[in-house]
Amino acid sequence: MHQDDKHQQGVDLAALWRLLRYSLAYPRLLKEAGVLLLLATAGQVLGPVLIKIFLDDYVAAAHYPVGELTLLALAYALFYGLSAWAGYQNAMRFNQVAFSVVRTIRSQVFASVMRKPLAYFDHRPAGALVSRITNDTEAIKELFVQVMSSFVQNITLILAVFIAMAYLDLRLMLLCSVLLPTVTVVMYYYQRLSSPRYHWARSVLSRINASINEAIQGMRIVQMLNQQSRFSKQFRNISQEYFEARMSNMRLNAMMLRPLPDLLRTITLAGVLYYFGSQSFNTVVEVGVIYAFINYLSRITEPVVEMTQRLSFLQQAVVAGERVFGIIDEKGEAQAPSEYRIGPGKIQLENLSFSYADEHPILKDISFSIQPGQFFAIVGHTGSGKSTLMSVLLRFYPVKTGRILIDGIPLHQIDQESLRAQMGVVLQDPFISASTVRENITLGLPIAQSQVEAAAKQAQLHEYIMSLPEGYDTMLGERGGELSTGQRQLLSLARTLARQPRILILDEATANVDSHTEAVITRALNTLRGSTTIIAIAHRLSTIIHADQIVVLHQGQMVQQGSHLALLADEGLYRHMYELQMQKSQVQEAVVYPHPQS
Amino acid sequence: MSLFLKLSWYFKSQWRRYTAAIVLLLGTDVLEMLVPWITGQLIDQVVANTLTNALLLRYVIVLVCIAVVVYGMRYLWRVFLFYSSFQLAETMRQRLYEHMTHMAPGFFAQHRTGDLMARATNDISALEMTAGEGVLSGIDGLVTGILVVAIMMIMINWQLTLVALLPFPFMAWYFVALGERLHIGFRDAQERFSDLNDRVQESVSGIRMVRAFGREQVEDENFLSIADKTAEANMRVAATDSLYDPAIFITVGSSFLLCISMGAWQIQQGVLTLGQLTSFTMYLGFLIWPMFAYGWLLNIVERGSAAYERIQQLLETESPVLDTGKVERVASSDVAIDIKSFTHIGSAMPVLHNIKIAVEAGHTLGIVGPTGAGKSTVVNLLLRYFEHPDCELKVGGVRLQDLSLQTLREQIALVPQDPFLFTATIAENIALGRPEASMEEIRAAAELASIDSDIMRFRQGYKTLVGERGITLSGGQKQRIAIARALLLDAPILVLDDALSAVDIETERRILRHLKEVRTQRTSIILCHRLTAVEDAEQIVVLNHGEIVERGDHYSLVQQQGWYAQMVDYQRLEQTVASGR
Repeated sequence: MHQDDKHQQGVDLAALWRLLRYSLAYPRLLKEAGVLLLLATAGQVLGPVLIKIFLDDYVAAAHYPVGELTLLALAYALFYGLSAWAGYQNAMRFNQVAFSVVRTIRSQVFASVMRKPLAYFDHRPAGALVSRITNDTEAIKELFVQVMSSFVQNITLILAVFIAMAYLDLRLMLLCSVLLPTVTVVMYYYQRLSSPRYHWARSVLSRINASINEAIQGMRIVQMLNQQSRFSKQFRNISQEYFEARMSNMRLNAMMLRPLPDLLRTITLAGVLYYFGSQSFNTVVEVGVIYAFINYLSRITEPVVEMTQRLSFLQQAVVAGERVFGIIDEKGEAQAPSEYRIGPGKIQLENLSFSYADEHPILKDISFSIQPGQFFAIVGHTGSGKSTLMSVLLRFYPVKTGRILIDGIPLHQIDQESLRAQMGVVLQDPFISASTVRENITLGLPIAQSQVEAAAKQAQLHEYIMSLPEGYDTMLGERGGELSTGQRQLLSLARTLARQPRILILDEATANVDSHTEAVITRALNTLRGSTTIIAIAHRLSTIIHADQIVVLHQGQMVQQGSHLALLADEGLYRHMYELQMQKSQVQEAVVYPHPQS
Repeated sequence: MSLFLKLSWYFKSQWRRYTAAIVLLLGTDVLEMLVPWITGQLIDQVVANTLTNALLLRYVIVLVCIAVVVYGMRYLWRVFLFYSSFQLAETMRQRLYEHMTHMAPGFFAQHRTGDLMARATNDISALEMTAGEGVLSGIDGLVTGILVVAIMMIMINWQLTLVALLPFPFMAWYFVALGERLHIGFRDAQERFSDLNDRVQESVSGIRMVRAFGREQVEDENFLSIADKTAEANMRVAATDSLYDPAIFITVGSSFLLCISMGAWQIQQGVLTLGQLTSFTMYLGFLIWPMFAYGWLLNIVERGSAAYERIQQLLETESPVLDTGKVERVASSDVAIDIKSFTHIGSAMPVLHNIKIAVEAGHTLGIVGPTGAGKSTVVNLLLRYFEHPDCELKVGGVRLQDLSLQTLREQIALVPQDPFLFTATIAENIALGRPEASMEEIRAAAELASIDSDIMRFRQGYKTLVGERGITLSGGQKQRIAIARALLLDAPILVLDDALSAVDIETERRILRHLKEVRTQRTSIILCHRLTAVEDAEQIVVLNHGEIVERGDHYSLVQQQGWYAQMVDYQRLEQTVASGR
């Protein structure tokens, strides 16, 4: 139950109207549905009229001309058949509109989420966003499937039934029409009474789920503290409350939902019979009319009950709609195309400072410049701000203080396409999708096979790929299946190289790989040297010892800068980090001990 | 249908309510049948011109009375029947919960949380359906069906009945078939929906890559193709679902046609009256529900049986650790560990070898070593999370198996690796093991754990709600609350299982100093990565690959130049780097 159980009484009409307007995009389907609905309703309502004619004009008169009667029977069969067919077709039209609308809304909200600035994701749990795109749109679906079609169909039916009644006997129709407002009033009060009860039960249920969930996860703690009986008792109380909430719901339903409209209907029937009986004392009455009225009476209460039951869907759908529209309406990243493109790949940072959402600064006054084709490295301990620096370089976040220039152009003015094409990144955790090797390299972009292969060769993965049963067309499993962690990282390197970027950024690309893979990656970097600007952000110093220039960050500030050898010569942070990593391999690879005595 | 037999224990325990519900249901059915009959009688008298005002009035009054009585009975049977079915759900839910409180941690490791949740929620709902709607559709469907057919046959005309009923078996068969198709379609739609969920989850969590590679368009297309498949699956369900109405329509329509034609012929023959024909067509309407109920019943029972089996299976699972010990008192807090060898169930590789440790009452034992060395396994054996014949552990000289679980747990206060906070206030979370503790005691424990000042900074202080639905605390804050929780118990033995990993070194030092001050004459066992936490321990053992490789106090271990000494150096350097020097 991850939906918020907020108890809302009113319905936001603007959001409802906006949701309904989506269906206007399918005027043909709607028109067809309308015609079909009229056909279906007419068929339904005309059946009893035919039987009335049959009973009054033929049976009561004991008059049986074969030809006319066959015609009547055929008409009856035709009406029913037509009504059934039209009803089905009408429902299908409605469904089609509903699913098309949901598909539209889904793709809109998905596309909108995909284009939000990255800062948007910082404070929103992924689960909540996923729920907006899937669960909320699913709730919106019910508005169309359950509510809209049911309301349109049922209201049409009720109107048609009353028209037919009026045609048969106006006064009797007026008598029956008392039923409709009465049932509506009953349903109105039912709705008012049931809404808080329903929400009560829902909220207790989500408490039950939460406490079972906690019991499963925290049971060993409860047991260690010998509190089992207290927790059981607490659970019994919630469970008991749930039982009571549901009983209260059920009692209300039993009192008002079905039995009460039925009671009213039977009383109306009694009224109809009384009217009919008293008429018969004065005039000749038509039995067929009474037959038709009995038939019609049975059809007008159920639609009202059904519509009432579906009102809760309406409310949920509108609440979901509000949330979804909230996402769609929020501004995405504004990226107008521009004439500025990345050239040779010179990068300059001038007094760059950065903080997320006005929290304490993560980067403080950073300045450096990287020449085209240079191998540049940024290192630092956990929390030094190096990952943030990378995010800013990739334009994931806007720069507010200081400047980043690429080939002399401010980063934010560079054309989006050019930035993506010329600035490649290898991330720490490679993402492998369940598709072929080739698709994992091209990522759905038009890249020639020769280029794909060249990139795979550079990443030293070509031979391995060729050894796979279907080469580049081999399907990879969900999480990269048959590939080892190292191979996955190499694949991710190939993916980036296939784009032939001017600037290559490695974001902790060697953090989780074995030393063989690391060696492959460093070799690949060395061949790119001179032609591609490389920025490597690394925790693992062995990756970057060959860099032309190394910047050491500590708590967002540049504390050292120089080549590996120059930095190592200084008694400072870089040297200590280096020593620490040398030692780490010693402590981690278990110490060899003489065999224990015994 | 054997499910009803399996649930007979419950039906027996609630037999009064079920009997009342069934009697009321039958009464309702019978009374409802009277309405068409009365209508028919009235019409016949109108046609025959024998109706008098008094008679008409009597008919109408009887009708109204029936309506009112039926209303009352309908209310009552619902209350009786659904009370019982809700109560079954309630009973099973509590049994499951109660059962879980007796299960050792091994049980929770074997079952995925989602799976347990599904049994405690969905499966119980399915079972409840069986005891409520299942009984309803089974009994009411059957009774209505038989009653209607009997009345039509006996009271009106059996030939007419047979002819009019011809289309109904087709409908019943059709309903069952549709029900099956709907079931399959629905499952498919659910799977597509979870595909959709997975897809979105992947895209949202991979947003950085999407952005870096300019993949928005591709993502959109992938999403659309899955959204389309979801829509198609939903459409199929809707298409099947939409077939119910036309089916009812055609069946009833053709039945009406048959019955009117045949009825007209019979009227002409003089074997049937117009009133009888009218009531007959009213009865026909009653037959839709039994046909529908049949298909529904099959579905409910199928789901209920599977659910009941899964719930029973869970209830019959025995805890991996049984509470058979009888000793209720422990005199001293010394701990003796003697593990010859320990292997996890279902695994061949032993994880611990020859671990022999004795801790005097009032002393502190430190257990250190690389990740995966088996430190936590030793503690878990001491907590009796699991056991093994080759492991003998004693507390106060008594073997763990001889102690009742309650007593064993009273001896030990544990701060676990992952501090779990329940959805409750901070005060309640600290007082979890001693709900009767006063606010002063709670605050004293919090002060010892160096968390009091953090708590006082929250707007609602100790009344702040934490846990899944409360505010989010940092890892270090959670750990310190867990420490306060353990300290409040004031147990003879305190176990810190890597419980200081997320607090900074200053705070760690302060907490350890507090511990030393208040826990005189009590035993402590500290497992940790950061070695500063065990510097003051009387005894430190270093585990590696499940064996003790070094042993001694801090100074003697530093002398040994082994893993411990290297690690001390390493961590000192790490501290230097972390502070930016």
